[in-house]
Amino acid sequence: MSTQLLNTQSNHSLWQESWQKFKHDHWGFWGLAIVVAYFLTAIGVWLGLWGTDWSSISTDFNHPPSAKHWFGTNAIGQDVAERGIYATKVAFEVGVVVTVFSVFLGVFLGALAGLYENTWLDAILLWLMGVIDSIPFYLLVAAVAYAMSGHQLAMHLAMIMVFWTTTARIIRAEVIKLHRQEFVEAAHATGIGGWRTLFRHIIPNTNHLIIIQATLIFVSAIKTEVILSFLGLGIKEGISWGLMIAESTNDIQAGYFNNFLAASLLLFILVIGFNLFSDALQDALDPKINLSHEKN
Amino acid sequence: MNNWAFALQKLLSGIPLLFGVSLVSFILMVYFGPDLTYELLGKNPTPEAIEEVRQSLGYDQPFWQRYLVYVKELVTFDFGVSMVKDRSVTDMLTSSIPVSLQLTLPGFIIGNLLAISLAIFAIQNRGNWLDKIIMTLSVIGMSISFLVIIIGCQLIFSSSYGLDWFPVRGWQVYDSNGHFNWLSYLDYVTVPTLALIFISLGYNTRFYRAVLAEEMSKDHIKTAHAYGHSKNKICYQFLLKNAMVPIITRIMFSIPMVIISGSLLLESYFGIPGVGLVTYDAIVAGDQPVLKAIVGLTAALFVLMLIFAELLYRVFDPRINSESA
Repeated sequence: MSTQLLNTQSNHSLWQESWQKFKHDHWGFWGLAIVVAYFLTAIGVWLGLWGTDWSSISTDFNHPPSAKHWFGTNAIGQDVAERGIYATKVAFEVGVVVTVFSVFLGVFLGALAGLYENTWLDAILLWLMGVIDSIPFYLLVAAVAYAMSGHQLAMHLAMIMVFWTTTARIIRAEVIKLHRQEFVEAAHATGIGGWRTLFRHIIPNTNHLIIIQATLIFVSAIKTEVILSFLGLGIKEGISWGLMIAESTNDIQAGYFNNFLAASLLLFILVIGFNLFSDALQDALDPKINLSHEKN
Repeated sequence: MNNWAFALQKLLSGIPLLFGVSLVSFILMVYFGPDLTYELLGKNPTPEAIEEVRQSLGYDQPFWQRYLVYVKELVTFDFGVSMVKDRSVTDMLTSSIPVSLQLTLPGFIIGNLLAISLAIFAIQNRGNWLDKIIMTLSVIGMSISFLVIIIGCQLIFSSSYGLDWFPVRGWQVYDSNGHFNWLSYLDYVTVPTLALIFISLGYNTRFYRAVLAEEMSKDHIKTAHAYGHSKNKICYQFLLKNAMVPIITRIMFSIPMVIISGSLLLESYFGIPGVGLVTYDAIVAGDQPVLKAIVGLTAALFVLMLIFAELLYRVFDPRINSESA
């Protein structure tokens, strides 16, 4: 941690420059505002400030939106707004868990492959990435869920298994590039070992790429959770936007749209917020990686 | 190196990947998959019956032997009988794949053409309001969940709450004599096609525009501008030709994904009997023979696409050889 801090200080002007650039990006700023608002909502649910009533049943079946029920109620009288707010926490949990582990795995294995470029280790890691990228994503998740007999974390694990490869490829390429630069050679010359150089000098210089990847993975994880939960492969306990949409397919046929509208609206605003934020970050931090890296 | 040697080398380089994808599918679906012994037995089985079923499933054999059995199944397209439906897996796949192709091809082709056209239009108006509108709409399109698009399309076009122009679900494209009926095909395919186009349009337009923008900044394009060639000539003759490599990659790579992942949601939601619905039913029911066939075959198909794409690059850009690929 302390090495990272030191490094941010020494790179201060570059980070500051990016921040200046980001501040002038109005869309990006709105995106950040949306993400922060959702994040605070999720924290509030986690602390038990709101969204606590998501599972309680009442006799108000399929009520339209009102002051009491902002998004109306569902077929068994549950408050749709409460459920939507509670689901924000679930979405963030999935997003954070999947992002942290995939980024960590991607940075570690990518750096390892880059450090040992053109050795058997590099070859095996590249082979592994190629294999994982060759299996269609939803099928891999289904296969993992199947192998784990529907375990709670099967969805998380499957997403982590898939999402780390893009980060690893980017970090690998960056490590190879940085490894040939003078400051790394200088570090070697002063007798600092390979691993120490990696953590002190190389990885801190890929921070901007890691941040961008993290936002992209977060968005993919939240979107994927919705689809997997809808297919019955995702969240098993509690409520998520995907489960709300799955529930809504019955309501829709009866002409009630509360669940569907609430879940898709909440999801849409968060995802567009994240997309705008991520775009602005890419422009500010690294204008080069503009080709979309999302997985679908 | 001549083209045949190049093709052969690429085919050989695909072998480790084919080995990898078959190994992963085997480990997940067969080796660590749930124990199927009791699914196949009746109530109160005798120890001998249990032993017999375990033997027929190959549970008493070592890892590599079971893996080889799986590879043999993949190569011979013989995966045995589905656990849920009384049909052979091969039969289920051969009857459902054409349906998926009929369903996804129109949307896939129109979607990509539309995205490329929009990207060209945006890049020709680079920086002005038309470009900005197209790109903003792309971000909005990207941000709507596939699921919401599919449900929304059905609501708007096929339900009594919307326009109610098309059938809500199903796939009756053959008339009573068993002939293919174009009119009813159009009837059933339109809404899923619209959904498929909307799903991919945002991503594709953004991607193609980024590719074109990168090509645009290259020196030979600037030179062409300096020579005073017309905008259209530069675009179609110089720009698009060089951008073909990433565009083809994108299209090729999305084929297995569209056929399986895309049709998974579309078919299960619209009740269309294609591969996607077969997969969905197999996921829900835990139908192992079907799942292992689909996972293994799609992954193998993807690797073959990968090799084929590299061969195609060579056609578009002869400079690409074994070193840079």
